[in-house]
Amino acid sequence: MSRSEATPIAPTRVGPEPTISRPGGIGQSERRPDGVPKVTGEFEYASDMWLDGTLFGATLRSPHPHARIWSIEISEAEAIPGVYAVLTHEDVPGRKVYGMEIPDQPVLAWDRIRYQGEPIAIVAADHPETARRALEKIAIDYEVLDPLADAEEAMRENAPKLHLSGNVLNHVHIKHGDGDAVEADVVVRGEYEIGMQDQAFLGPESGLAVPDGEGGVDLYIATQWLHVDQDQLVESLGLSPEMVRLTLSGVGGAFGGREDLSMQIHACMLALHTERPVKIVYDREESFYGHVHRHPAKMRYEHGATRDGKLVYVKARTVLDGGAYASSSPAVCSNAARFAIGPYECPNALIDSYVVYTNNPPCGAMRGFGAVQTCFAHESQMDKLAGALGMDPVEFRVKNAMTTGSTMPTGQRVEGPTPVAELLERVKAMPMPEAAGDGPRDLRELPGGVSNTTHGEGVTRGVGYAVGFKNVGFAEGFDDYATARVRLSVTDDGPLVEVHTAAAEVGQGLVTVQAQIAHTELGVERISVLPADTRVGSAGSTSASRQTYMTGGAVKMACEAVRERLFERVKEEFGESPNSLSLEDGSVVSGDRMVASLMDLLDGEDIEETVVHRHVETFPLDANGQGDADMQYAFSAHRAVVDVDTELGLVRVVELATAQDVGKALNPQAVEGQIEGGTAQGLGLALLEEIQVRDGKILNASFTDYLLPTILDMPPVKMDILELADPNAPYGLRGIGEPPNISTPPAIVAALRDATGRELPRIPVRPEQIAGVATQPPRRSPQAGGGYADIGDIRDRSET
Amino acid sequence: MIPVAFDYEVAESVDHALELLGQHGDEAKLLAGGHSLLPIMKLRLAAPALLVDLGRITDLNYVRDEGDHLAIGAMTRHTDVERNPIVQEHCGLLSYTASLVGDSQVRHRGTIGGSLAHADAASDLPSALMALDASFVVKGSSGERSVAVGDFFKDYLMSDLAEDEILTEVRVPKLSAGTGWSYQKFTRRLMDWAVVGVAAVVEKSNGSVGTARIGLTNMGSTPLRATAAESALSGADPGSVAEASNSADEGTSPSSDIAASDEYRRHLARVLTKRAVEEALSR
Repeated sequence: MSRSEATPIAPTRVGPEPTISRPGGIGQSERRPDGVPKVTGEFEYASDMWLDGTLFGATLRSPHPHARIWSIEISEAEAIPGVYAVLTHEDVPGRKVYGMEIPDQPVLAWDRIRYQGEPIAIVAADHPETARRALEKIAIDYEVLDPLADAEEAMRENAPKLHLSGNVLNHVHIKHGDGDAVEADVVVRGEYEIGMQDQAFLGPESGLAVPDGEGGVDLYIATQWLHVDQDQLVESLGLSPEMVRLTLSGVGGAFGGREDLSMQIHACMLALHTERPVKIVYDREESFYGHVHRHPAKMRYEHGATRDGKLVYVKARTVLDGGAYASSSPAVCSNAARFAIGPYECPNALIDSYVVYTNNPPCGAMRGFGAVQTCFAHESQMDKLAGALGMDPVEFRVKNAMTTGSTMPTGQRVEGPTPVAELLERVKAMPMPEAAGDGPRDLRELPGGVSNTTHGEGVTRGVGYAVGFKNVGFAEGFDDYATARVRLSVTDDGPLVEVHTAAAEVGQGLVTVQAQIAHTELGVERISVLPADTRVGSAGSTSASRQTYMTGGAVKMACEAVRERLFERVKEEFGESPNSLSLEDGSVVSGDRMVASLMDLLDGEDIEETVVHRHVETFPLDANGQGDADMQYAFSAHRAVVDVDTELGLVRVVELATAQDVGKALNPQAVEGQIEGGTAQGLGLALLEEIQVRDGKILNASFTDYLLPTILDMPPVKMDILELADPNAPYGLRGIGEPPNISTPPAIVAALRDATGRELPRIPVRPEQIAGVATQPPRRSPQAGGGYADIGDIRDRSET
Repeated sequence: MIPVAFDYEVAESVDHALELLGQHGDEAKLLAGGHSLLPIMKLRLAAPALLVDLGRITDLNYVRDEGDHLAIGAMTRHTDVERNPIVQEHCGLLSYTASLVGDSQVRHRGTIGGSLAHADAASDLPSALMALDASFVVKGSSGERSVAVGDFFKDYLMSDLAEDEILTEVRVPKLSAGTGWSYQKFTRRLMDWAVVGVAAVVEKSNGSVGTARIGLTNMGSTPLRATAAESALSGADPGSVAEASNSADEGTSPSSDIAASDEYRRHLARVLTKRAVEEALSR
């Protein structure tokens, strides 16, 4: 289907040279190897990769959210000089669909379009501009269909089916205690809504596929899970796993948005077809169409409590808009159900969580994974109930807080430290920021900042609290494991530990943590963490707050296995019992006595161990949503202090304070960074960040129109980090990445309600809701004024 | 984010630029800083065949005291307008508004003439110049003409400039001693375009409003004067400013878009007008 005039090029690209670091042990704040290069611009992101002879790939996407394809005509595109390949669904060598859990998504669409931006054809050319022109020459005959853009509508019996299986992709039902068949003194109801948040990672999707000249391919890729990419590539390329090798390249953030495939299969198809390296890099607009987003949700809640403030029952119904394809929606739906009532003890609950196919952009994993949505709802309800009971919101929460031994709505007993009440009390006890004085204030401290709209007149302060939780690691019986290979050797410069895993460093600091663990376990200063690739077994995904627990745990176990073999050697050579031995500063010691140096022990005989680490077994939920589905829970609480210009609707978040139990902080500075980052992302969701979709079309696919918080929007974060060891976890650690993202939005909205007295049932909260001007989203099409989304085509107009 | 290929010419003088415009007609666009033009070219919303760069015409970079008004060359950068002592002394509103344009990079490269000729109703300078009653000098092959600010903005991204004309100078009347001013810009994040902006120039009379001129940003397809509010404000004492400002949105037709609904824009115009006049009275 194309002209191929290339000569095969042997794979010449090698990953970055593994560097040797000298980190401290666990518990020390360690600098990350990528920190300085990222600030100075020297870090090699996936989009910076290059090989001689590289072709540029580009993707033709559907402008329609719902359509039939009657024909695809590519000959004109193929005829353009410099175009090496134009491929369609006909050229997919193996399985024509992909998906992590349910392979329902076409690699390239053939007869039906289910979302705007769905890929239809791919091109490889000698220049990005040539590739772009070729896309323009591909003729598609579409029959445009009405989009099914509302999740509730899609659930109706008579709705057109977007997939053969029907539109309800998953329904999780939990009945706990007597469900709702009980009476309560005080009842509150609420309906809540959450918009579609984007992961907004700064490094867009990118990768470089290099054919090996023997029918196989090497892919250098920014991803979250090399092996799940490999599994899907193997299927769709029709190759054996040995012929599809992946190496992690520089990842510019992920937050769940890189768990699904984007350009991986496309780049490999083009590389194998042209026998040339092919690079694909999305631009920002394409990135908005190129990955899944956080599920928008509508949530209907009813809470009942006794007059003295004990929860009696919770009824919750959540509908998540899954968009066009499955992605990880079934699991998100289950999370939204399991964490629907929050970290509280409640004897009765009836929970129904649905995720539905629509013609909206596909949604999937994003930091918080279902718990973010329901936390906004249950915390809003807890405030409402506290108000109805005349109780202090924190006191009310503490009174109902889950503790060790509490029962989840799933029937699972909560084990280990469960400091829900303590986190709330600690965050409440933190000193408050200074009250706004009467004198003139620095504009930067006011809502609207230096835009001069507020001078402090009529500014009202509000304070709000929230607590949230989520599981760590994969749940519901998933075989969750991580693999680590550790090699101990001596070189001219002394002992060296090499750590090799496939775990994706996506910016969270995992490389440093692996090195710290190796140092701690083997007493060796020089550590080399090798580039992550598929030459070692799967590490599982860098998601679900699991990678330090799972891969960190695997590295720990591999080090222990190496140590065991080393001590066996000591026993054989010196007759020393392994029980009395330890490793310190490159030597084996017994108490204060040095037994042997590693230099002597290892001379020429390296020790290597590969270990698979599995966490405790979990189980699927039964028909009533009962089962020990979770491995570990992570908790955090937030307090938000806001100043609100109630007349304009402008907000200044004055301070965010948080308390979180991390079990053990392996790299305290990195823990603080994760908590700050997650809190900032939560602030974005509460106030600014939403992909605005109408009739299945994205209206704001740019960072001009999709509003990310800037440094000026983000206040200082006060942190209280608890280290309550989980006896089951490596070093007692607890996953940390997601909780800050979960409890921040409801705390901010609670503070806004406190300041304004308004209901604010939807996030992100818009200024017009705060000002009480309009609670409906805009009614008409975008017009002139403001961001790029509104400019339209101005080719005929005059401007300089 | 790569624009369509284009040719590039450096204009040595205004006459040279006019000559190039004459040769290339509507294929050519003037580059006067490029902070509006280049982004939309990268987004391929505009695809001129030729860019005529005015950046080297130093003759167009000046601020002059012309007695009753200031003359500002079209290629004067925002940051130079902001920091110019003559502008600060005689026309504080313009200096201040220039400090709110875009971000620091934009203010160092973008020019007053470029911003005005782009004629974006969401830009800050046009409405400030409406309130200041400015006028513009426009040069074409057939000579020079003066255009009042109220006649310059025709529609969304459309000015009174013909294809073979160049905006060369902005003339701003000096503010008298008893005149207060304010610019209020509503954004959800700093550095964004104004959702709504209000510029006020108030001639004070014994602590009350004598006359007021109110310019509105992003309340329609062009910058506007809030004429109904201006009438209502005439002679208003501080206690009645709020009520008088309630007509600030009269006669406007703001859009509903992803940034705000039209109702909310109207609300903002009213509140910001009140605040702008109050600040102008106190200044």
